[in-house]
Amino acid sequence: MQMLMEIKVNENKYRLDVNPRKRLLDIIREDIGLTGTKEGCSEGECGACTVIMNNRAVNSCMVLAVQARNKEIITVEGLAKNGELDALQKAFINKAAVQCGFCTPGMLMSCKALIMKNLNPTEEEIKRAIEGNLCRCTGYNKIVEAVLEAIVMVSEEEEL
Amino acid sequence: MNDIMIQTPQTLEELKNYLSIADESTYILGGGTDFIINMNKNNVYDGTFIDLTGINELNYIKKENGFIKIGATTTFTDLSENEMITTETQCVAQAASMVGSTQIRNCATIAGNVANASQAADCIPALMCLNAKVKIMNGKGIVIEKNVEEVVLGINKNCLKKDEVIVEILIPIKNSDYKSAFCKVGSRSSVTISKLNIAVSLKIGQVIEEASVVIGSLGEKAFHSTICEECLINKEINEELFTTFKEKLKYQVDLAIPNRKSKSYKREAILGIADNIIEKLFWNCYRRL
Repeated sequence: MQMLMEIKVNENKYRLDVNPRKRLLDIIREDIGLTGTKEGCSEGECGACTVIMNNRAVNSCMVLAVQARNKEIITVEGLAKNGELDALQKAFINKAAVQCGFCTPGMLMSCKALIMKNLNPTEEEIKRAIEGNLCRCTGYNKIVEAVLEAIVMVSEEEEL
Repeated sequence: MNDIMIQTPQTLEELKNYLSIADESTYILGGGTDFIINMNKNNVYDGTFIDLTGINELNYIKKENGFIKIGATTTFTDLSENEMITTETQCVAQAASMVGSTQIRNCATIAGNVANASQAADCIPALMCLNAKVKIMNGKGIVIEKNVEEVVLGINKNCLKKDEVIVEILIPIKNSDYKSAFCKVGSRSSVTISKLNIAVSLKIGQVIEEASVVIGSLGEKAFHSTICEECLINKEINEELFTTFKEKLKYQVDLAIPNRKSKSYKREAILGIADNIIEKLFWNCYRRL
């Protein structure tokens, strides 16, 4: 039995006829076709599937698609605006906070959710925001440095 | 794979209607953080899921009639960031802030944690420690209250009938003489499942006037440690008391799991947790000693 639902992803509205067993991750990748969000452990340990749902970071592997009905979702594809990368994405590149890149979409979305809530987080708050995201390449230091750089970039942009 | 259907009530009235036709294949979904993993891994469930997350009436934290009342769909993030919870029910705020990761705390709900009845649940010992109750509604709209320990029967077993759902958690309001704390240990520092957790609530005057000590992950369900509670009551707060308290905790491990392989680990681990609890509860005194 299929279920009809509406969802807003990266400011675009979708009306979907979904299998109720599908998770938010499944509809983002399979029905909407945004494959930036990755499936890692499928049990909330790795955070590779992190997206922002109504301003909060969630593991899209742990949310049923139907639970995301009428909610606003941001995926990694929604970060860049008008062809320009988000400050976080630029900082991740500048600081070489990306190696294999598999964790990066989830890592970016956890950091974005933090910055949306708190524009001046401490290093501890950044570490706490990414505690649910595993990275096996960078060792986290560069990621934390990148977030700190992004905050400076955003502050400077706001001052202009 | 069998068919499933998801009902998405928006009000308590709609929920009641769905509960009135609930049967053995009906499952209640809070945040769903445990349920969905299980469903995805094993495809074990078929039937009707009732998703509570769309019921705004169940998302609140308020004070009323001598209780702090927490709606069923309140998430761990909501709890750990709420000033009333962090100042008046410290052990609940601390437990909520240590559940899983940021992403999990943003979805997982307090009622789901109780109903799921994991032996490693973090909020259950904290709620038991504060003598919390749960309000349960059935398909006829009848509401009853039970203590948290009555609801949790064993590992992933609760007392709820198929047409019953937890709608509210009630924590008695205490005055400022009461202080509580929660600590746990797991295999990693975050996103960890408790291998052992403890919640302690004390009424502190000239001596400790009341004590509530609840230990989780040391058996099928969390339990009050009477021997630890007795060792604290009517005692002055000093280093000697801390030493006795730690010895009693160790003894409690011996009593609870006499033949389990994890005993030797847990009787040492509990000492570390005890130090953390003591530091949280008596930080000022601890600094002076």
